[in-house]
This record gives sequence, structure tokens and C-alpha cells, in this order.
Amino acid sequence: MYEVSQNLRLARAYVPFQIYNQSWEPLEGLMRGTIFPELYFPYRKREY
Amino acid sequence: MDREQLALLKEVMALDFKALELQLYLDTHPNDQRALRDHNLACQEAKAAKENYQRCYGPFMPCEATGFPWQWISDPWPWEICYE
Repeated sequence: MYEVSQNLRLARAYVPFQIYNQSWEPLEGLMRGTIFPELYFPYRKREY
Repeated sequence: MDREQLALLKEVMALDFKALELQLYLDTHPNDQRALRDHNLACQEAKAAKENYQRCYGPFMPCEATGFPWQWISDPWPWEICYE
């Protein structure tokens, strides 16, 4: 079963438009892989 | 590579990365004035940081006028540097 949320239609791809209003300092961005906090989604280590 | 050289190298890498990030953003947001301003500033800062590094430690790219003897081979290669 799927959940219908936020009135989004199925089988449609959505890319919300990014708005630049904050950024990390250059070195912090380099270490995190992006200077945009809104694009920071690190993978978590997981045991298999 | 001593700490001072490593700090200057990291500064260059970080500023180049910031400029690249803003470049990619501007590809899809060409009318964002703030991003454009920050991009141009990051490019200037990266250029200044590179010149600063090169004055002390030799060229980043082979196509740079260097002192004698030929300096390109005097640096450690990127994979020989401990970045920690």
C-alpha cells in the first residue's frame, strides 16, 4: 500500500526549485561534499 | 608537506570547490544576483589563494612560468599528501 501525501500525483517526478540563501564556509563545504546545507544528505554507516 | 603549506593548499581546494558549487547552481539559476556575486568573489579569492601558494611552493599546473630548477617535480604528488 502507498500513502498519498501532500496532494502529489503518482508517477510524476518533482524537483523543488532550490533557493540560495545560506551556505557553509568553503572548507566545511569541501569536507561535507556540498556548500549548500539543504543538499546535505550523508549516508549513514550500517552493519550488514 | 608542513602544516602551513597544507593549510594554504586546503584553502585553494575549498575556494575552488565553493566556486564550482556556485557555478553548478548558476547553471540552473542564471538570474540569482547573490549567487553570481558570491561566485565571482569565490573565483577572485581562489585566484589570489593560488597565487599566494605558488609564490611559496611552486606551480599548481605545469603550464606556469617557474623558477630554476624546474619546479613541477619538486612537490609531493596529490596521492602522496597526508591531508589530515
